[in-house]
Amino acid sequence: MRTTSILFAITAVLAVCLVLPGCQSTEQPHAKQLTLAVNSGVEGEALKQAALDYEKQTGIHISIAEFPYANLFEKELIDLNSSTGAYDLIMLDDPWFPRFASKEFLTELTPLFQKRGQNGPDDDFINASIALCRKPYQTGALYALPYVGNSQLFFYRKDLFEKYNLPEPSKWDDVLAAAKTIQENESEGGKTYGYVMRAAQGNAAVADFMPIFWAFGGEMFDESGKPIVNSPEGIAALKLMLELGKYSPPGYASFNADEVNAHLLQGTAAMSINWPVWISSFSDASKSKVVGKMAFTTLPGETKSGQAEIGNWLIAIPKDAKNVDAAMDFLLWATSTKQMKISAQRGTPPTRKSLFQDSELVAKYPSYPARLKSLESSRPRPRTPQWNEIENAFGIFLSKANSGELTPEDAMNQANAEIEKILQRGQ
Amino acid sequence: MLKSKKFFSAANRRDLFFPLILLAPALAVLLSLSIYPLIYSIAISLQYETANGLTWGVSNFGRLISDRFFQIAMLHTFVFAFFALLLEFSIGLGLALLLNTHIRGRGFVRAALLVPMMLPTVVVGVIWRLMLNPNFGAVNGTLKRFGLNTESLTWTASPRLAFGSVVLVDVWQWTPFVFLVLLAGLQAIPQEPYEAALIDGSSRWQTFRYVTLPLLKPAILIALLLRTMDLLRVFDQIFILTEGGPGFATETISLYIYRTAFRFFDFGYAAAMSFVLLAMTNVISTIYIRFLQTKEAR
Repeated sequence: MRTTSILFAITAVLAVCLVLPGCQSTEQPHAKQLTLAVNSGVEGEALKQAALDYEKQTGIHISIAEFPYANLFEKELIDLNSSTGAYDLIMLDDPWFPRFASKEFLTELTPLFQKRGQNGPDDDFINASIALCRKPYQTGALYALPYVGNSQLFFYRKDLFEKYNLPEPSKWDDVLAAAKTIQENESEGGKTYGYVMRAAQGNAAVADFMPIFWAFGGEMFDESGKPIVNSPEGIAALKLMLELGKYSPPGYASFNADEVNAHLLQGTAAMSINWPVWISSFSDASKSKVVGKMAFTTLPGETKSGQAEIGNWLIAIPKDAKNVDAAMDFLLWATSTKQMKISAQRGTPPTRKSLFQDSELVAKYPSYPARLKSLESSRPRPRTPQWNEIENAFGIFLSKANSGELTPEDAMNQANAEIEKILQRGQ
Repeated sequence: MLKSKKFFSAANRRDLFFPLILLAPALAVLLSLSIYPLIYSIAISLQYETANGLTWGVSNFGRLISDRFFQIAMLHTFVFAFFALLLEFSIGLGLALLLNTHIRGRGFVRAALLVPMMLPTVVVGVIWRLMLNPNFGAVNGTLKRFGLNTESLTWTASPRLAFGSVVLVDVWQWTPFVFLVLLAGLQAIPQEPYEAALIDGSSRWQTFRYVTLPLLKPAILIALLLRTMDLLRVFDQIFILTEGGPGFATETISLYIYRTAFRFFDFGYAAAMSFVLLAMTNVISTIYIRFLQTKEAR
């Protein structure tokens, strides 16, 4: 008898435990709350701040799910894949966009604009940025809005360039010559390397190679979509990268952003391709030995004019989001000129032309004109849903060439074969 | 038949009810968190994407044969495991034998030796990444002090050195574990066989070879088995130290599986590779157990 009553009690408790969470979820208030998946970094920080402002203004609570860069992609893709609708808005890095959009995971924004009496995003958005949000690229339907407007810049030591009477590099050959001059002459108080780059496999090596590759006239795919990285132009570009490697600090074949910027901040390297997010650290005397000595400009060209790789953070609404309209309201508010200016003052680069030209902001960030120029002429990474896989394979072979394991020809031939295999698998 | 009849008798059913209820939560957890995912991963390893959606088949396993990255990663894993195990075992055994004797400061050394093992692997990875930095790191800094030219010592950037570095870090962290297990084994050996050996006039080597080693076999088995399984699925330190680079030089199978699943979002192929790794780990473990146990029984 006693055992039965104990059993009964246990079963009752278990049953209550099982039912309780269910009850809670049904009581959720409608559209009074939005859930936002953001990157835990400077870019996500800006959006978090904006979300707090929005909550104050409208009373709509925004809960933030914050993930480090590497996890954000997988969390979002798992959510989109399993249609959980856990997030109303997601922040995504632009190379992920083709993958997310190819499976129709995202809400098309144009109907939502039309509902509000607008045709679409206004002309103030930078073309190169808004083009990233369309599928197909540039011409297709709109699935996101650009929020953080970054593209690569060329960083160099203007004091050393003045000292050796070197012109601002407009071609990669100039860069190589300058690297040589600086490294050979600048040895007082420790060595200064002419150049520094990231050649760790994966994203790093590819990002630091693409501008050289494009400047030499290299293309990843021909018009029919076949990979052609092993073209003579591509091999010439890799050869130049290896030449630059001779003027880079030893071990650069495993460098990532941290190491590259440590060298620049310590004044032990004179030039690099880099991202604007690092600019502010150079004027911070507690970190930087080169305060006031750095210049930031657009990328050099070679046979073609220089083009930077674009790296924008976009915001999209998942297809299964629970509060599509409330999410759109927030998205429009956050990307409005007024709000973007506030974010820009907090340190997040905008995606609007007028803000890059805004006198207050230019006074605060003198690099804005160069950044606008770089953004407007920038290029996206090849738009393919398999970009992650291709970038990984390409990066491995670039890194192998830089560590001396493969010749430039072998590296590019093998990379091409591997990319072809990846593409075939995707069909 | 008789047994099962008894099993289902009314009285027994009542007796069984209560234990079953108590077991239910544990079973539920096991089912939902281990058994179901296991079956599910078998299922997805047998599915692949085509133009018409997911299809059943063994294409994921077929792809392994032509995937050069998979084969190289597998090779790296075994080479890594072999060298790391060899070093960890020989150093661990040496230390255990040394610290099993009555030398001064034994307690302190024993405790100090265990520190690396207590650290989270990720922390170890970060510490070593900083120490091995060719320009700012402590290792090259120290060597420079002694007047050595460290220009070419790019620990994580040249393919050979990088592989050596990841082995070294694993040895640094996990030798204490082997040492600990072997020391426990040594201390469990009774004195009598040694006294008998002494009376029989055996040399030190003979005592070690014919008394210590055979009696230590169970501990050796445990140490080798656990380390091998751990080494074959090594992930964290390498991920932090080199992320598999430079190029592909330190990519192990776990890293490649991770990349395939979470970067390329190909869970089916990742699951297929995981099963191959599981099968290989099983085979090796079984060989160990057979080998070391039969000899012990002899």
